[in-house]
Amino acid sequence: MNEGNIVCTVCPTSCLIDAKWDEKELISIDRAQCKLAWGYISDEIFDPKRVVTTTVPTETGKNPLVSVKTAEPVPKHLVLDIMDTLAVVQAKGLVNAGDVIVADVLGTGVNIIATSNSD
Amino acid sequence: MRTEQVDVAVVGGGPAGLAAALSAKESGAEHVLLIERGERMGGILNQCIHDGFGTKLMGEAFTGPEYAQIFINRLTNTGVNVKLDTMVMDISSDRELVICSSDGLIRVKAGAIVLCTGCRERTRGAIRIPGTRPAGVFTAGVVQEYMNIRNLSVGRKVVILGSGDIGLIMARRLTLEGVEVECVAEILPYPSGLARNIVQCLEDFEIPLYLSTTVVDIHGIDRVEGITLAKIGPRGGIVRGTKRFVKCDTLLLSVGLIPENELAKKAGIKLSPVTAGPIVDDHFQTSIPGIFCGGNALQVHDLVDYASMESEKAGRSAAFFAGAGKLPSPSIKVLPGQGIRYVIPHEVSGNEPVDFSMRVKSPEADRYIVFKQGEKVIRRMRQIELAPAAMIRMRVRSDRFQRSLDSLTVEVAD
Ligand SMILES: Cc1cc2nc3c(=O)[nH]c(=O)nc-3n(C[C@H](O)[C@H](O)[C@H](O)COP(=O)(O)OP(=O)(O)OC[C@H]3O[C@@H](n4cnc5c(N)ncnc54)[C@H](O)[C@@H]3O)c2cc1C
Ligand code: SF4
Repeated sequence: MNEGNIVCTVCPTSCLIDAKWDEKELISIDRAQCKLAWGYISDEIFDPKRVVTTTVPTETGKNPLVSVKTAEPVPKHLVLDIMDTLAVVQAKGLVNAGDVIVADVLGTGVNIIATSNSD
Repeated sequence: MRTEQVDVAVVGGGPAGLAAALSAKESGAEHVLLIERGERMGGILNQCIHDGFGTKLMGEAFTGPEYAQIFINRLTNTGVNVKLDTMVMDISSDRELVICSSDGLIRVKAGAIVLCTGCRERTRGAIRIPGTRPAGVFTAGVVQEYMNIRNLSVGRKVVILGSGDIGLIMARRLTLEGVEVECVAEILPYPSGLARNIVQCLEDFEIPLYLSTTVVDIHGIDRVEGITLAKIGPRGGIVRGTKRFVKCDTLLLSVGLIPENELAKKAGIKLSPVTAGPIVDDHFQTSIPGIFCGGNALQVHDLVDYASMESEKAGRSAAFFAGAGKLPSPSIKVLPGQGIRYVIPHEVSGNEPVDFSMRVKSPEADRYIVFKQGEKVIRRMRQIELAPAAMIRMRVRSDRFQRSLDSLTVEVAD
């Protein structure tokens, strides 16, 4: 069995969790202030995920950039690949927050969506 | 000068101002005016494109622009009058504002005012780094605006001084954009940003964080060519033999935020030497009746949610004052005791429940935050982890206050 301290980063409270796990699954957690920790810590051990936020240039908007994010957390090892994919993307036409900028990025099943407006 | 009359004037259209204007309107103030000097509402959130805003208030992690948009949408059609590109030049103790826009100067007579002017960044001057004055030294928030709003890049090889949250967030942002972040240096023996940002922004990208370390020299004539780092001993001096040169073309400063209170000073509002924000009571009323304050202008927040929550209360109080002409006066002074740097509000009436916010002086593990009046403990909460970076919020019910006593002390205890 393995054990260690992992910071839960779901919210800024940043609880320092005592976790125990084996090869297959999370066995126990201690010192979490809420239920959200279990899923996060389990992912963090077996398949760490992150939300990627960045910007892409606009075509016509008043603002030179719109901000974008992955609509869901994506596997951490893909973060830099997603940045490379987005490096050549330009948002077409007028953009509103929530618009899909890239569908199913790198086959993750997750969309890149705008988080601000181009105008 | 043209003169306008309003019930509540809110200065600043960031998250604090938005929340204050909304709640003033919802609490019955008829003419609410929101004044923002920028071209859009949302304040600093427009440049905070990362996620993690709104977890306390909405149970979900939004990006800064998304969080702002939720409040901007709520404000639409409420009848709150919004003036953008308009700067408040002056306010007086009898609640008159002078505002300036392309329409010229206008005098606004307000029943109540809420100051939500946010904060500004400490600069190189404020921390006195020796060395040359080359280009390439920026505050972290300025670089955040350059990159996230204006599409400008600042350099190829960066050192960040100070482990404040904006510096950490920018370490990640720069790395993602292909800029090399050499290291983050922090003069204190512990990080000043949240643990969450240490993990997500530094550890994820293997960016080193050097504690008890600072920049003692900046090199370069036209452009930064490097900096000298050194270890700082427990008494604040440079540890001999620890100086080393780090090559870089850019130095980012993330060395703290200071509440923006030029207007408050002009009106003669009493400021706290510790927070640099106004002294307020539990209605967020300042030392001048009818002038209120919330958000980063009152105290630097790490969570926007709490900036919104306190300003909501400030807006409600302002609406009440504009109607009734006064509020119950506070009779209990709130004093920071052992281990506590500051507590807000600074005084309370004890007639209503109060949400206190506070910061500790240094990191501690497994202690209690204790509220005491005389020898009596009126509220106590166990804290597994205490860090100066994390603001603590605690509610005290109205029936807990001993109104016969004129003070209350908050301390860290076993
Ligand atoms: C540079 C910077 C970066 C930040 N980045 C992060 C981050 O990455 N993550 C995070 O969680 N928190 C961040 N914060 C903290 C965050 O700002 C607060 O949680 C929150 O935005 C505070 O809201 P506010 O409304 O009090 O201030 P602000 O958002 O600063 O809004 C104040 C508004 O008042 C306006 N104003 C000021 N003076 C006048 C005047 N005289 N007349 C008219 N209008 C005026 C300003 O233009 C501004 O729009 C950052 C703060 C700063 C200063
Ligand atoms: S355990 Fe809950 S409260 Fe603690 S950091 Fe995780 S989400 Fe936040």
